[in-house]
Amino acid sequence: MTPPPPAVRVRGLGVRFGSRVALHDVELEVPAGEFVVLAGPNGSGKTTLIRAMLGFLEPDAGTVELFGRPVGDLSIRERARRVAWVPQEEDLRDDVPLLQYVLYGRYPHQGLFDRDTPEDRAYALRILEAVGLSDRAADGIRSISGGERQRAVLARALAQATPLLLLDEPTSHLDIAHQLDLLSRVRALSRSEGVTVVAALHDLNLAARYADRIVVLSRGHRVADGTPRDVLSEDLLARVWGVDAELEMDSRSGLPYLLPRRLVTDTRPSPSALSPGPVHVVGGGGAGAPLLRGLTDEGFRVTSGALHLLDTDAETAEALGVVAAVEGPFAPLSAATRENHRVLLREARVIVVAAFAVGPSNLANLEDVLPFAGRTPVLVVDPAPGVALDFTGGAGDAARDALRAAGAVFVSDPDAAVREVVRLLASAQTPGPAAPAQG
Amino acid sequence: MTSPAKTGHRPRWWVAVLVAVGGILLIVFSALLGTVDIPVRLGLQILLHQLTGGWWFPQACAGTSLDPSRCSAYTFVVWDLYLPELLLALIVGAALGLAGASLQGVFRNPLADPFLLGISSGGTLGAAIIYVYRIGLADADLYLPAFAFIGSVATGLLILAVARGRYSSVETLLLTGVALANLLSAILSLVLLRNPAGSEQVSFWLLGGLGLASWEVDGIAFGAVLALGTLLCLHGKELNLLQLGSDVAQSSGVDSSRVRLRVILLASLVTAVAVAFTGIIGFVGLVSPHIVRRLAGSDYRIVLPASAAIGALFLLSARDVSYLAFPGSLFPLGIFTAFAGVPFFLYLLYRQRRLTPMGGA
Repeated sequence: MTPPPPAVRVRGLGVRFGSRVALHDVELEVPAGEFVVLAGPNGSGKTTLIRAMLGFLEPDAGTVELFGRPVGDLSIRERARRVAWVPQEEDLRDDVPLLQYVLYGRYPHQGLFDRDTPEDRAYALRILEAVGLSDRAADGIRSISGGERQRAVLARALAQATPLLLLDEPTSHLDIAHQLDLLSRVRALSRSEGVTVVAALHDLNLAARYADRIVVLSRGHRVADGTPRDVLSEDLLARVWGVDAELEMDSRSGLPYLLPRRLVTDTRPSPSALSPGPVHVVGGGGAGAPLLRGLTDEGFRVTSGALHLLDTDAETAEALGVVAAVEGPFAPLSAATRENHRVLLREARVIVVAAFAVGPSNLANLEDVLPFAGRTPVLVVDPAPGVALDFTGGAGDAARDALRAAGAVFVSDPDAAVREVVRLLASAQTPGPAAPAQG
Repeated sequence: MTSPAKTGHRPRWWVAVLVAVGGILLIVFSALLGTVDIPVRLGLQILLHQLTGGWWFPQACAGTSLDPSRCSAYTFVVWDLYLPELLLALIVGAALGLAGASLQGVFRNPLADPFLLGISSGGTLGAAIIYVYRIGLADADLYLPAFAFIGSVATGLLILAVARGRYSSVETLLLTGVALANLLSAILSLVLLRNPAGSEQVSFWLLGGLGLASWEVDGIAFGAVLALGTLLCLHGKELNLLQLGSDVAQSSGVDSSRVRLRVILLASLVTAVAVAFTGIIGFVGLVSPHIVRRLAGSDYRIVLPASAAIGALFLLSARDVSYLAFPGSLFPLGIFTAFAGVPFFLYLLYRQRRLTPMGGA
């Protein structure tokens, strides 16, 4: 006897929008009856995964099966009898009575000439009862409160009587009481009717409370998958959300909950632990910014130094979550900053020296790179033709020449430098920036 | 219905009865109104005589002092002039009301109507080109409507061709239609400027009128509008779901893009029928669905047929107003629908602004 197929089976799913990878090689299997929460920061691919399950988009790679059948093989009607969707917010323009709105959900079960039967009505009323809106059945959908409206949307989806329910951040516009209310109802229905639920949520504590299982997405990769107890960790929060948090156990429910404390800037780019690097950028005065952006975009872990506070490069580094050795504004580099900078240089797998203007206050940057030139690949970006970089009376140019003598590779512009870093780190047999990674 | 409507605008039966009774009275009244004054009693007798095949009032002019030739002249006026004219007004009004309601539904925009989208202008351009360039002038009565029809359908197809583009949103479609309408008007102006002789004939299509009405025309128009209208009315449930957005509709089992294509095609065809025989008559398609939504809520299963009914009565009223205001001759109806339609439409817009900032009906 073969076991029944899972409600959802996602294999090697890849979706890209233009050049942006939204999902990369995602695997997911949801057995019937389970309540799974998709968690992850904004832009991690939760919505894309849900839309792929609904058959709204053509995957670039991989397959999505619902109850053993590829979603693309199902007609739109057949799909609507298997899976219902609660979007983040529904754009309701017409003030239709609530009961009529819920009856819209019966559409996939009705023929061309069918009117709403008494059975349809009874069914819709039962669902309104279940979501606690039976006394509002005659009210216009636009006249009820936001919390009630989201329950109405849930009711409309439930009226489809599907074995699978997908919710895309259904609570993001609700206050905490309505969040708990909605999710408890979904949870109860899932239990009583055996409905499989996949819900995207970004509140991890809500996820822990209601989910049988949490699947964490980060930048399109599945980075964790398991029970709330297994998945939720301080490390995960730091790694994926870039938040320093404390993990506590609720003594009554035995469920973990997280208390966020502050933003962790040193691990903020979420693929930090998954991606190659670090690549260190020596910059200043804005010359490093294109490199910082280009390398971050390529998915590298990037560090930078030694920068002056308020400088364009320092602000870019901060905005990108790049760890940097930073000195006070306009001050000469102190011994402590230089030491921090050397720590970053030591860890770097590639060092890129931007075409920054060298003055007395930052000449030390070039001097500090020199000892690494033999051990670590060093790329030096040439200035644009006719642009002078040396404001030290010769010491700056001398330092650049010394780097050349020590084996540094000179490249024409920041883009070329980024390409060269990609080449260097790819040939060193490290996982590429888009490689699959497990948390 | 067990639960009374509180806010959700559930259709009320007495509204339907009121509209039906008013409609019948309007139709009877209209049958006696036209270029020639007909005594009320005589007119009713003639109608009943003709409608019952002589079973009722075997002598149409019984009780009057009319001689047989005068009687048959009156009969001709009522039966072969007024009645076809009023029926064409009803048929075309219904077609425009339906087209407006379905386009507003499919575009989720209360301003969509066949005129705005250029479907009507396409028809006029078709008629203008055939007339001005003297193609088949020998039988202009036949060719002009045919080309008006082709022009409208071609415009609809052009919008559809854009709609098939994978990334086209509803807004893109609507704006494409608006742009197209302007382009068509420009081409039409150019054609007419270069051929001033044609402009008088073409002005019939520009301003819209019931001048082509006859039993034959009515028969063709009725058959076409009935068939297309029935098909359109079968899309009520789909249009209801499309109001929730095409993704939600799709997740509920509606093939959104296919339904959109089908409804736009049908609405173009039904508009083309109207334009072919009466030219451009604005505001019927725009206003009728709004009246219906105020009276009966926004369930498209009701909005579609009810917009046909309201559109029919609206256009018939416009015809009557034309005769009452300027006895003896029928003015282009577009003038009267605009006079009645624009203030009413503005009133609706301002009343609804409180509910819907960007004009969602």
